[in-house]
Amino acid sequence: MLAYVIRRLIQSLIVLLIVMLFTFTLPYFQTGGIDAPAYAVLGTHANPVTVAEWGARNGMNHPYLIRFWNYLVQVFGHFNLGHSYKQNLSVWNIISLYVPRTIWLALSSLVFTVIIGIPLGIYQASRRNTTVDYAATGVAFVLYAMPLFLLCLLMLQAFSFSWPHLPASPPSGVAPWAIFTDPVGFILPVACLTMVSVATLSRFMRGTVLEVLVQDYIRTAKAKGCSGSRVLFRHAMRNALGPIVTILGLSIPGLLGGALIVESVFNYAGLGIQTVNAASNVDIPTVLGITLLATVLTLSGNFLADIMLGVVNPRIRIQGASQ
Amino acid sequence: MSLLGEPALLADTIEPLGPRDEEVVVDAIVPMWRQRLRIFMHNKLAIASVAYLVLILLFCYLGPILYHTNQTNQAATLSSAWNAPPSAQHWLGTDSNGFDELGRIMYGGEYSLTLGMLAGLITIIVGTVYGMVSGFVGGVVDTVMMRILDAFLSIPYLFLLISLFTIFSRSTTFLIIIIGITGWWANARIIRGDALLIKKLEYTQASTAMGANKWHIIRRHVFPNSISNIVTVATFSVADAILFLSALGFLGLGILAPQTDWGTMLQDGTAQISNGYWWEIYPLALVFILVVVSINYIGDALRDTFEVRLLER
Repeated sequence: MLAYVIRRLIQSLIVLLIVMLFTFTLPYFQTGGIDAPAYAVLGTHANPVTVAEWGARNGMNHPYLIRFWNYLVQVFGHFNLGHSYKQNLSVWNIISLYVPRTIWLALSSLVFTVIIGIPLGIYQASRRNTTVDYAATGVAFVLYAMPLFLLCLLMLQAFSFSWPHLPASPPSGVAPWAIFTDPVGFILPVACLTMVSVATLSRFMRGTVLEVLVQDYIRTAKAKGCSGSRVLFRHAMRNALGPIVTILGLSIPGLLGGALIVESVFNYAGLGIQTVNAASNVDIPTVLGITLLATVLTLSGNFLADIMLGVVNPRIRIQGASQ
Repeated sequence: MSLLGEPALLADTIEPLGPRDEEVVVDAIVPMWRQRLRIFMHNKLAIASVAYLVLILLFCYLGPILYHTNQTNQAATLSSAWNAPPSAQHWLGTDSNGFDELGRIMYGGEYSLTLGMLAGLITIIVGTVYGMVSGFVGGVVDTVMMRILDAFLSIPYLFLLISLFTIFSRSTTFLIIIIGITGWWANARIIRGDALLIKKLEYTQASTAMGANKWHIIRRHVFPNSISNIVTVATFSVADAILFLSALGFLGLGILAPQTDWGTMLQDGTAQISNGYWWEIYPLALVFILVVVSINYIGDALRDTFEVRLLER
């Protein structure tokens, strides 16, 4: 198991390095190139000599690879995501308040997705080709085809304006755990984000369980005289969980992207809104810093999913050790 | 949801034997494509989806010839009514800029559908080449290429796209390329799986034994045999690209005004819901959702069509 964990950890680090190569290289292509921060700090009409001097002072004149090394040291050694020259603050200062809020939004949506999506998929698989199954699949099709922002706005229209029972926006400026202490304002955002994920997850779960249900060991279990629910939950669900854990891990980038949209619609102060604001101010270090952070969140999620997969499925961890 | 009646999901591929078989079985040898066409034609909802898509394509590309509206001259809209309800002159009213809504749906549809199809094409071409090479060459090359793919799949792509839009200047071509190059990752995975599978099959091995080189095998065996998956994946890619473009439209990163796309229009329209200007949002929302549902449904039907177990044996 330890060898498997270490192997996955090294893989995640390699992936992180590749992403960092991106976030490091992209600023080279901005208008004004690598001198752009200097002009942002010193003013648009700064003297080229001053710009060159500023560049030298801030390590802008080093060769590409040396600068990349410095970037790595900065991120891993000092946990510094960069410096926003537009706002003259470190990126972490700008976003630190919002990180937990987005994490809570995404996590609670993920929890509800699992709680609703998995039983729904199993139920659909066990009642396949019935009216209930068709109805659930139809709703999933429509939810999947609907842009998330449209779903959010229709929900908002329905539950905050036409039938005003839920607040249109979660309280801002409150502690991130307000999602537990004062959940009413969070219902709509979490529900919207959850609905889309449930549509995808229940479809996957249904397909996976159906694939498992035709396996020989299910027939054996039935032949032994297991009850229907025991076959379904004891044999089928356990074997279907593996692919689902992987899918959940892979769904994290989509979940964060969805959180970005939901935050923008409901004016939920989080990383997403910060990204959109930074993008409209052409605050490149902040956008890239958030992208890097979101990548770390995704990789952590994938890593956890893989570890869980190793825990629930001995085949994987033993194969991982032998390789 | 009688609309979707009989969804062709995995259930159908697992237990395909049913009334369908009776109709497919014939005495004479029927060419493969005709058998497949027959299976596809058997799926009434898939036919309805195709018909709806053709209708929408005609509506968007040929509609403007019959229904003349001004969609680009912003100065001319100053004299027309804004947010006007449907009337004989404006069949679906006008939007918040005074553009005719029905004409705008056609006009925006041209951009959304063209961009969606082109971006879908890019994702499938890049994904196929990458997946084929990775799966077929195998070994270290495969490992490295898959690690790179893992890296891509771990990037929260919406954030990455926003970074790209912040740094590079926007244009329609750039939009297509960006959606294209960020959408092929999952496709490459599926195609690689196919290539790995076909590589191990007997006819491929026989070809290798007869001295065929790798390029020949990819061209004559691997590619033709994974074409079904490629077509299916391409269908879903187009739907995803259209959806993705709409998300960009919502974030204000879509097509630049006075041009428009469905996502930007939906975003503009939703701002008007609370004013009661229903014609600016619901007709388009319906058209849009049905387009994506249809494309996805056709994808599902295609997957069934290419499922060998449904063919005459």
